[in-house]
Amino acid sequence: MHSAPFTQPLAPRLLFTAMDKLEKLKILASAAKYDVSCATSGSQRENTGGLGSAVSAGICHSFADDGRCISLLKVLFTNHCIYDCAYCANRRNNDIPRAAFTPEELVDITINFYRRNYIEGLFLSSGVMRNPDYTMARLTKVIKDLRLVHRFNGYIHLKAIPGADDALIREAGLYADRMSVNIEIPSEENLKYLAPEKDYGSVLHPMHLINETQQEYLPVRRYSKPAPKFVPAGQSTQLIIGATPDSDNQVLRLASNLYNENRLKRVYYSGYIHTNTSDSRLPALVAPPLKRENRLYQADWLMRFYEFKVDEIVDDAHPDLDLELDPKLAYALRHPELFPVDIQQADLHTLLRVPGIGPKSARLILSARRYGHVSSYLLKKMGVVMKRARFFITCRALAGRKAPDYQPDHLRMMFLDKSARKLTPDAVQLKLF
Amino acid sequence: MINYQYDGTFPGFLSAVFEVWDRDRFPARIVPPEVAPGLFEETLEVKTADDHADRVWKGIAKAGGKQLCQRFMHVFLSRAPEAEDLMLFILKQLFDSKKNIAGDLSVEAVLKFTQLERKVLREVHRLYMFLRFEQTADGIWFAPVSPKYDVLPMTLNHFKSRFSDQAWLIYDTVRKYGYYYDIKVVEEITIDNPAFEKETGSLPTEAQSEDEQQWQEMWRSYFKHIAIRERANPRLQRQFMPKRFWKHLTEKR
Repeated sequence: MHSAPFTQPLAPRLLFTAMDKLEKLKILASAAKYDVSCATSGSQRENTGGLGSAVSAGICHSFADDGRCISLLKVLFTNHCIYDCAYCANRRNNDIPRAAFTPEELVDITINFYRRNYIEGLFLSSGVMRNPDYTMARLTKVIKDLRLVHRFNGYIHLKAIPGADDALIREAGLYADRMSVNIEIPSEENLKYLAPEKDYGSVLHPMHLINETQQEYLPVRRYSKPAPKFVPAGQSTQLIIGATPDSDNQVLRLASNLYNENRLKRVYYSGYIHTNTSDSRLPALVAPPLKRENRLYQADWLMRFYEFKVDEIVDDAHPDLDLELDPKLAYALRHPELFPVDIQQADLHTLLRVPGIGPKSARLILSARRYGHVSSYLLKKMGVVMKRARFFITCRALAGRKAPDYQPDHLRMMFLDKSARKLTPDAVQLKLF
Repeated sequence: MINYQYDGTFPGFLSAVFEVWDRDRFPARIVPPEVAPGLFEETLEVKTADDHADRVWKGIAKAGGKQLCQRFMHVFLSRAPEAEDLMLFILKQLFDSKKNIAGDLSVEAVLKFTQLERKVLREVHRLYMFLRFEQTADGIWFAPVSPKYDVLPMTLNHFKSRFSDQAWLIYDTVRKYGYYYDIKVVEEITIDNPAFEKETGSLPTEAQSEDEQQWQEMWRSYFKHIAIRERANPRLQRQFMPKRFWKHLTEKR
């Protein structure tokens, strides 16, 4: 495959294009970094000759300096864009260096990174050049080349470009594992305010289309394994948090709808970073709202893995999540009548509502219960956070006051105190004296 | 108490299990070679016998299923000081009381057994994550690793199927052995006078393929530019990617 290092001197032109590729990669990776998604799970692609495979559990390969996982080569095809969305770093009116890959360059980088086990595959997004159809066709060419010419079986996440022709999106879905369309702004009036060229209809249409097409392909797959897959790892989207005054209630309600109606696999929440400082329509945040973002993810987890309904987490009376308490604890404190829960008797749904018990430990409790009594010692061993759980459960050898014995405010203060202590070590010292 | 001392290999352990039941002398302990016997304890040295090991292996499979066999192997690889005791405890229930308690987490030994297994499997997954190939001048893809447990053999199927069209060599720099895949079969090898740096496993530039440096540079640059500066969080990074892996990571070397 490769000639010996000394026999063939590098042609100067080759060196030049290599430099060029590096420069493009810098620009187009920086431009893609605000897209949060990096998941590589949910697709099983066997190696049928050629390169690569996708593992259904997903694999992360590195963690960037911001602590986020790197599993895919996440780049834009180009950061040229015909739109001028206020919240986007790549908007038409921004004076930034622009670049565009050729499909060959992108294929080359993907394959060379993949062969070194740097990445799980490609996450390809793009600014819109000329028009949506043209852009979508270019993106599809890249992943089609990867799959058909280079027999690449790694993971591919592709952005669907709103406004592109249905046929183009349906074709792209045959080669991608996951597709996504970013909604970005959690309410339509604010989207129109910040991105006058867009509306919810154009964003939601490809989402519906992908969902419907998936349903068309599914029954065939059930009878014939070699039948083509369409977006086997499902679709995801992203919402920017803190760029608009939308409440958590609006955000989570939208997410819940997307999960239920469009069968989305993931909704990502991205704390707004004030990149376009010249635009007065946007709030001048000093730091991204990381705490709120974290609480939204916790709430999202409650909906996906803890059998919570969105109404149980936020409603019109409590439109925003409590920043100082995790949403599950907040729920438990609002509903003292549900506790304490009997560990020996409670069903999965009820166990999942206990603060300190997660889906894993809830299932461990169920399976351990079949053999005998589950003691508090064992609960601890199973990974239940007893610091929290002990106020909400009854089990043998666990005496003490339970949550309903306390005033809700008192209990809240008690938990707050703990998290506050964790945040500021000085507070502990002050208390000692 | 009788100590059955085996040679530290998995077949050796299974042979010791065979001896324990063959002699039928309890209470017994199975101990690895590095353990010195207590003052008043009897120690029996167990010779590794493949046919004995095989019978025990099949016995476990028959009583508890093939998956249970795998679980014993995983726990064995943890090399935890209590691993043999835990395994013997579970085997006793399995062979004597005909009860497979390996799923009963209310038994503390089983819980520990499960936790040890989880640790080993996590290390396997971390190899999937943090292994890095470099291309050598003769076109072979080389990756040095130094896992906490001896799990390299457990990763071979993954790498063989994923990189089925490239010849690779994965080398455990701590245990000083590795596997070479020539696009057809995987075979075990040892390297006596390695050309790579002994601990980190990095290749000298002249041993690399001509464009290797260029790709590594690309990757490092990508790694740098994909991070959002406003969200820098080195603690989180170390938590997900412990420092012990950094010496093999192209982006962190």
